Amino acid sequence: MQKPLQQRKAPESKNAAVSLASPLKLLLLHLTCGLGLASGFWVAFNFYSFTLIQNSTETLLIVWAVEASIVIPLYSLFRRNPDQCSYVKAIVRGLLGLPAGALVNAPGAIVLGAPVGIQHFPKTVHWSLLMSVFTFVPAASVYGSSWADWHRIFAHTKPVGSTDFIICLPAHGAVIGAWFGAWPMPLDWERPWQDWPVCVTYGAILGYLIGMVVSFGFVVFHNRRHHGKGD
Amino acid sequence: MGTAAKRAFWRNENSGGWIWAFVVLLGIMLLHSLAILLFTRGFLLTRTELSQYSQCNDIAESPCFPPDDHSANRSCWTKPVVDRLVIIVLDALRFTIFELLHGFDFKKPWMDKLQVLHEFASQNQSSAKIFKATADPPTTSLQRLKGLTTGGLPTFIDVGNSFGAPAIVEDNLIHQLVQNGKRVVMMGDDTWSQLFPHHFITSYPFPSFNVKDLDTVDNGCITNLFPTLYEEDWDVLIAHFLGVDHAGHIFGVDSNPMIEKLEQYNEIIKKVVGVLESQSGPGGLHENTMLLVMGDHGQTINGDHGGGTAEEVETAIFALSSKKPPTTLLTTSDSSSCQLDMHGRRICINSIQQLDFAATVSALLGLPFPFGSIGRVNPELFSLAGGTWNLEKSTNGDDQSPSEGNNWMQNYVNVLCINSWQVKKYIDVYSSLSLIGFSEKDLLHVSELYSEAQELWSIVSKNFSDKSQMGFASFPLLKRQLDAYSAFLESVAALARSSWTEFNLKMMGIGFCIMLSSLCLHVFLIRRLDNLCGLHSSLPDYSRKLFGLSFACIIVMIRALSFLSNSFILEEGRVASFLLATTAILQLRYAIMKKMMLLEALVLCLLVPLLRISIELGQLKQAVNSLFLKVDPSKTLGIDDGSQFWMYVAEVLPILALIIVAYLLYKCIASSSSQGILKYVVFGTLFNYMLIALHWASDSSLLRQHMLLGGNGNLIPRVTYAAGFLQLLLLAIGQLIVKERSSNLEQRTVVKALALLSAWSSTIIILSGKQGPLVVLALFIGGWCLIRLMALEQDAKNYSSGSSLSYALPVTQWSLLAVCMFFSTGHWCAFDGLRYAAAFVGFDEFNLIRQAILLTIDTFGFSHILPIFGLPLLVACCYSLRQNKQVFSMRLCQVYLMYGFITAITVTFTMLCVTIQRRHLMVWGLFAPKFVFDVVGLLLGDFCILLSAVYYIA
Repeated sequence: MQKPLQQRKAPESKNAAVSLASPLKLLLLHLTCGLGLASGFWVAFNFYSFTLIQNSTETLLIVWAVEASIVIPLYSLFRRNPDQCSYVKAIVRGLLGLPAGALVNAPGAIVLGAPVGIQHFPKTVHWSLLMSVFTFVPAASVYGSSWADWHRIFAHTKPVGSTDFIICLPAHGAVIGAWFGAWPMPLDWERPWQDWPVCVTYGAILGYLIGMVVSFGFVVFHNRRHHGKGD
Repeated sequence: MGTAAKRAFWRNENSGGWIWAFVVLLGIMLLHSLAILLFTRGFLLTRTELSQYSQCNDIAESPCFPPDDHSANRSCWTKPVVDRLVIIVLDALRFTIFELLHGFDFKKPWMDKLQVLHEFASQNQSSAKIFKATADPPTTSLQRLKGLTTGGLPTFIDVGNSFGAPAIVEDNLIHQLVQNGKRVVMMGDDTWSQLFPHHFITSYPFPSFNVKDLDTVDNGCITNLFPTLYEEDWDVLIAHFLGVDHAGHIFGVDSNPMIEKLEQYNEIIKKVVGVLESQSGPGGLHENTMLLVMGDHGQTINGDHGGGTAEEVETAIFALSSKKPPTTLLTTSDSSSCQLDMHGRRICINSIQQLDFAATVSALLGLPFPFGSIGRVNPELFSLAGGTWNLEKSTNGDDQSPSEGNNWMQNYVNVLCINSWQVKKYIDVYSSLSLIGFSEKDLLHVSELYSEAQELWSIVSKNFSDKSQMGFASFPLLKRQLDAYSAFLESVAALARSSWTEFNLKMMGIGFCIMLSSLCLHVFLIRRLDNLCGLHSSLPDYSRKLFGLSFACIIVMIRALSFLSNSFILEEGRVASFLLATTAILQLRYAIMKKMMLLEALVLCLLVPLLRISIELGQLKQAVNSLFLKVDPSKTLGIDDGSQFWMYVAEVLPILALIIVAYLLYKCIASSSSQGILKYVVFGTLFNYMLIALHWASDSSLLRQHMLLGGNGNLIPRVTYAAGFLQLLLLAIGQLIVKERSSNLEQRTVVKALALLSAWSSTIIILSGKQGPLVVLALFIGGWCLIRLMALEQDAKNYSSGSSLSYALPVTQWSLLAVCMFFSTGHWCAFDGLRYAAAFVGFDEFNLIRQAILLTIDTFGFSHILPIFGLPLLVACCYSLRQNKQVFSMRLCQVYLMYGFITAITVTFTMLCVTIQRRHLMVWGLFAPKFVFDVVGLLLGDFCILLSAVYYIA
């Protein structure tokens, strides 16, 4: 356990300029992502008068498109090894990560109980694309195809460094939020928001936001401790 | 017994260990049985339905006066005083709709909407009355109709009730009507035609289960009601309107549809009364007709009903007689309260128990009272009928008018005499025939009251027969007699209510506490066995194990808490599959982390959605006969049934699956160097599978033309049952005879388990039909994945680290898989979820014990029998060698305790939630069946665990 940790420390110190001096940047990043989500809904409602409950497919499409167009460029700024990997390459990686993440999220949802009929197919696709924006796309932009990093973030959940935190915690938050979001679905309240994927989406967004807040807290805490050690 | 002693028992090579395990498991089973017995006595109120019927000539046995035979040739127990009866039932009619408003500052829009009833009640106070009728819980329509017509108190389990068919088998009003030549016409709610399938001469039933439909039933009633009113080929007309009930369920009481419905009913009743009055002249169709407008139960403001709150039990009866009784008001009407309403009309509201309805109507129509009726003839309702008054006029017309009231009283006392005699007879017969009767003390009290009343009666009746003495003198005597009978009848009703409608909370509490203590015993035993093993896990591993344990606890708790909501109970199968999928996904993640067992985790993840789809297909079936569950058919995969291709698939797939299962079984057994008997048992199963495949092939429509496999279709199933039984017998004998060889304990256990499972599987497969092999295959694959994934929990380095914690998650998953199996085989926790067809595979005629055994095997085979007997595989397969026998047996015992613990937690929470929800609308429709299924499952599971402990450990 000790060895790989130290190995991983090494590249981190290389781009310390990005990952350490960044609480303010991270706050900006999180705020922009949160605002991106809000603006996605705003656009859907004000320009097309779509709501998640009535036109879930179209709304999800708009929201993930808006959010992806914000997340990919922003997270590409935080890419690993910026010397070897150009900004454009990071963006392309993010774009490739989008469908790949959807391919993981959609079966996950179906395993857990998402409906499988043809008429639910578009909803599931757009929902999993949104989930992909929350989970896979940032990681794809930042880490590329580095299996070790992916393994550390998603299998072991052992983030080290602020970049890891801002990717790992919101992603896990979104997944756990979506899992909890499925709970009200069987209740007999006969509300429109109980349908797939409305409440699951709400849960995921809520979990994502909470994950961002927590990750920001972690980063601040982390930095302060670092400073303390430095002194 | 100290720890050392126990350890010594385990160390004792021969038998000590398994006896200890046996005693412990038996003790737990007995504890569960005791807890369940006590709880059930308090919760599931049971009543035995008697099959006796009242007969016309029974009256000769009574001490009362029979009606004058010469005066009315149709009279039976009492003299009929009403010729025709129109009963209009307005489902879920709240009494507050009649609330008089002069004391209220606020006025709800739905109040006072049935104005017409107020009008009639105030205009002719002698011939029309409003009653506040009090129903008894459960206030569901079916139970209430049963209560109204039988005059009893229906409970959840009416023992003797024919399963499935709701038709009333007890003596009831409608039966008596038909028996005595009355013609009954019914229109409206089709529940009536389910309850009384062959009784009506004409019926216009309309489907009632679509709650969102406010008008179909009502419009059907209206179109048939008015033409029928002008007909003369009926004696009793029943019209059951459902709109108010449905409007309440969907929109609530405070809504516009509700008001519209009430206004509509106001018009209908006005018109009906108009028709009756227009025909009420001498010689008219409705010269002596009584109209009853009544609700069967009330509803809460939200429109729910089923419980016992005042809003739900209070409903109304409006009675109007077309033949007017004399205007002298009854002096004894102490139960009525009169008020002035907002229009300044004086309205008297009387009260009546719904229990009394059957007896009163029988008395009015001159029928024998239903045998099981425990109601009392209500004096106010009885006095409304004109016929009860001028009973004696013809014989002694020159009598003075003051005696008119007295005459009536005399008549009424005689009716009460008959009434009390009938109730006493019922109570006597009931307590002699029923398993759970009344307590001795209460019976004695009731008998005393009755004999007191009878003593008085002997004096009064002497007075009666001495006709010259009649007059004012006997009035106080009559009054005393009346009070005596009323006291008797009231105490009987109170006794019946206490044993049939009130939960015994003390009993339920004791049962629940015993259940809790059994849980504590489970935990204690599991911990103790851990200590006995003498093995402690190393610390770095501990955190991971703790995670597994706490995760398993969370999963079990989520499932247990989900029973607090009716929706989650309905969706229990999907909840279980959701939780199983969650564990599977986490294990997949863990597998990726450890880079091992990837395939198994993936297969498990793929298996879960398949199970879920099959659960949803099962729900689709359930939705057809369930009121509560609304499944959108489009949610599931729509398979076009008509196409030829799917028909072929449906025929071939099960047989293919069967072949695969047989092949897997063969591979498993061939690879192991197994012992004689066990091998023969498995080969017997393979032979059985062939027979089953042949059976289905000969049954199938595709091959029927080509193969003329004549003969008995029952032969193969019977052979299969016999072979299965023989296999089990062989295993038991082998257990006794074959000397144990200590070599390779794990493999031996695996082979033993496979032999036992295969012996059961052929019977279960043939019972569950074509889905059987597919489900067995799924169970096989799922079990294999779970066993393989156990390796994730067990670290390769320290396999001997023996904390039971590492078993928590796999055992939880095993039980979740078992729950999924129950639902994916098309079962659900309701009595209509039993697959009755399975009981008749191989048999055509009905034999209670045989069919019950087959039905039990079908219902619990996949979810209890196979998983529990297969549980040792979990221990044996991944447990590395080099374990001594004691540790292995202890481990096995521990895993069984854990499995029992998980089941017991579920049942404990089911008990808790039925206690909390005992006044819930769906308590009898949903919670109680769930409770029954859980309890039966728990006891069966305990029994299976006991058997397998003997089989594997001994």
